[in-house]
Amino acid sequence: MRQTILGWAAAAALVIAAAPAARADFTQLYEAARKDGELTWYTAHFTTQQAEETGRAFEKKYPGIKVNVVRTTAQVAYQRLNQDMAAGVVKCDVFSSTDIGHYIELKKKGALLAHTPENAGKVGEPFQKLDPDGMYHATAAGLIVIGYRTDKLKPEELPKNWTDLLEPKWRNKISTGHPGFSGYVGTWVVTMEKLYGWQFFEKLEKNRPQIGRSINDTVTMLNAGERIVSFGPTATTLESADRGNPVGVIYPTDGSLLMVSPSAIIKGTSKPNAAKLFMEFLLDVENAQVAVKNRQESLRPEVRPLAGAKPYTEFKIIRPSDAEVAAGIPKAIERWRDLFGG
Amino acid sequence: MARGSEAAGGEAAGSIAWERSSWAMRLRNLDPTILLWLLLIAVLLFLVINPLLRLVLTSFAEKDTGLFTLANYAAAYGRPRYVEALWNSLVLGTAVSALCLVLAVPIAWGVSRTDMPAKGLVRLLVLGTFITPPYLGAIGWILLAGPNAGWINRIWRGLTGAEEPLFDIYSFPGLTFIIAIYSFPYLFIFVTAALDVVSSEMEDAAAILGAGKWRTTVRITLPLVLPAILGGVIVTFLEAIALFGSPALIAIPARFNVVTTQLWQFFSHPARVEVAAAFAMPLLLVTVALFRLQQRIIARRGFVALTGKGGERRPIALGPWRWAMLGYALLVLSLAVVLPYLILGQAAFAKAWGRGFSLDNLTLDNFHFLLFQHATAQQSVVNSFLYAAATACIALGLALAIAYIVQRRLVPFGGVLSFLCMAPFVIPGIVLAIGFYAAYAPPPLSLYGTAWILILAFTTRFLPIAFANASAAMRSINPEMEDAVRILGGGRLLAIRRVIVPLLKTGLVGTWLLVFIPATRELSAAIFLYGPDTRTMAVMLFDLSEEGNFERLAALGWLLLAATIVIVAVGYRLVGRDFMLRRGSSD
Repeated sequence: MRQTILGWAAAAALVIAAAPAARADFTQLYEAARKDGELTWYTAHFTTQQAEETGRAFEKKYPGIKVNVVRTTAQVAYQRLNQDMAAGVVKCDVFSSTDIGHYIELKKKGALLAHTPENAGKVGEPFQKLDPDGMYHATAAGLIVIGYRTDKLKPEELPKNWTDLLEPKWRNKISTGHPGFSGYVGTWVVTMEKLYGWQFFEKLEKNRPQIGRSINDTVTMLNAGERIVSFGPTATTLESADRGNPVGVIYPTDGSLLMVSPSAIIKGTSKPNAAKLFMEFLLDVENAQVAVKNRQESLRPEVRPLAGAKPYTEFKIIRPSDAEVAAGIPKAIERWRDLFGG
Repeated sequence: MARGSEAAGGEAAGSIAWERSSWAMRLRNLDPTILLWLLLIAVLLFLVINPLLRLVLTSFAEKDTGLFTLANYAAAYGRPRYVEALWNSLVLGTAVSALCLVLAVPIAWGVSRTDMPAKGLVRLLVLGTFITPPYLGAIGWILLAGPNAGWINRIWRGLTGAEEPLFDIYSFPGLTFIIAIYSFPYLFIFVTAALDVVSSEMEDAAAILGAGKWRTTVRITLPLVLPAILGGVIVTFLEAIALFGSPALIAIPARFNVVTTQLWQFFSHPARVEVAAAFAMPLLLVTVALFRLQQRIIARRGFVALTGKGGERRPIALGPWRWAMLGYALLVLSLAVVLPYLILGQAAFAKAWGRGFSLDNLTLDNFHFLLFQHATAQQSVVNSFLYAAATACIALGLALAIAYIVQRRLVPFGGVLSFLCMAPFVIPGIVLAIGFYAAYAPPPLSLYGTAWILILAFTTRFLPIAFANASAAMRSINPEMEDAVRILGGGRLLAIRRVIVPLLKTGLVGTWLLVFIPATRELSAAIFLYGPDTRTMAVMLFDLSEEGNFERLAALGWLLLAATIVIVAVGYRLVGRDFMLRRGSSD
């Protein structure tokens, strides 16, 4: 991790030195934000470590403004936010969930501040214009792909696309998460059903996959040797590979599933300028650097991923619409539990 | 209260002035301890009734309007799968309790009443079991008994050439085993605490009348500690049905559902707190029923073992059987502690645990990272121990006081108080946490983000353990000793301070530990209530598991074990042998 921080600092220095002219000028906003002094960030985006790293990177770039990082899972963050609102207090200034449904609901309630950061136009095309009204913006992204044990599968044996894993030879070899516990898995189930119908899961069930909770459980199952292929995330799998574990990822030819997570400013915040500046930072190059070091996808085209991962421009991306996800997940959970039990 | 009105009872009605003086007189004659009891009831109101009441009200309230409805109950029990989850939990709780009896009572008896060797080691390993967060142990056991890659099953296949695994941890028996092996210390500690104060005289009496050792133990010794056994069984039962981490790790892959995993589903988006509240109600009813049962079983007998009249304790000589006793204890404890930590150690000291064990794969980096580089790890370790210590002190004081007023019948509605003290145990941590957040996070108290909201929630959550233990201990004390103080003119507080507390001292330390240890590993309430500066170690463990960072997760588990052992060792130094070993031999 020390390497990470050093690497990040070097990269940031490089970027700042190389491209000062191309970058937006936040001097005025910074001055105003300094008067706010601090902000509170409810986040489910990253690992605790990365969330803290992001907070510290912000404080380093904008001295005098403190970020209170409250990192929890998405449901807990949302539940807290709702309790706060019920009590009529605004504790959270910037809200970063992984569940798009939260934003659709918050928007309906009028709980979000309409604000489009300048940097929102500088992120890659798949990450732009998440909300036509500019209430929330993509600030993090991850992929769901096929993970595998590099020491137990030869290159010619590897599955190439999602449906390859329905073949009987993968019986008792697959690891997956649970849509009832993971928004990532839920979105993946909705997407697979959209592409291949529910038969996909009926066939999958015959292969007796190992069902965990979080999508990251699949990485644990690969490392334990309990299973050798997974429907897993790029970030955690590659991070584990970075530490020397014999795991890798395959980008399926029928499309890697892109997961985009938004952030928004909560209406009624007492620190509007600090919150706006923080939104700019989340969309900025420095944050993209922190992201790729932690094996998340980079939102900024100028920041490329590390070895072992590909930039999103080099493979096929699939992504269901927000409405499909919001409507599809509850149904998918029920059908999943009827099929798999538990 | 009865004393106050008695004092004023004979007076006739009169003028207002008289009434005033009567009130003054009443106040003068009032046992000052009454105020203390009233204060205690107020505290219970704050810690238990208010959050609990909110829970009950929520279960009958319509989501947005708050109007009365039964729809939540219809939603909670409208599907066979949900009802099945409830049934699974009840079966699980029963199976776990039964298994805990088999695991704990023989070892407790061996340690407390016999000349079994290596008692110190056994106690230390029980402690090691107790401080292991159940989900950490469950992870260890997944690595040991996973059907494909688990070590036990790999060795089994290697030896026999069998296709099928020897033991698949992803099964109902697997889950029962995992929960029991990390819950039996509750029962162990309850039972040893009680056995430690039974004097040998009663056993001698049985022996004189011709009963053998075995018959004496079954007919005399164990029945004497029945309240403790029942208390322990209830606690393990409730622990089994309220646990979330282990079922989430085992039951979901095994493809069955229990109450807590179902509750989690109700909380996932869109969260249906009111349905969850309705779904949690049967657990409360089960608790009430269990306590009724306990009271009926022990109501007709006396269990006074501490008479203040002296007594002698001698270990029972087991002869060669003492080695069999030790063998059994070590078998159970190696399943609980030794094997899981060994296998977690492989990950904790590995650069990449997926590569397996090899010399060039060894490293201390995971520990170094947690201790010196991680943004919040250090703080969270300190937080955990601080909050747990505060929780233990508050819960112990409260439990003792309430157990006292209930047993001495100082207030008319003691049964209700007992129930209130025990009720929080079945409220799943996350539900309790939501009640707390709703009640105390907003103004006027604004406790959110402070350590207090965690400490108070933990206190509520573990009050049942403290109370069950305190009241079992209290039941064993003969009230005559206190009466002696009071006959000689001492007040009730003096009697408590000089008689009750000294008599209970060793038991109190044990009870303190019984709250302290689970509080250090408490997850489900913490995960909802922690703020930016109040993260605890259990939350960190959960985060690391969620993040798939297994090497560091295992390292943190080892740190937790090491830190607790250090604390216990310091405790030894400060309090003496009593701290953990209580009585190593009869005294």
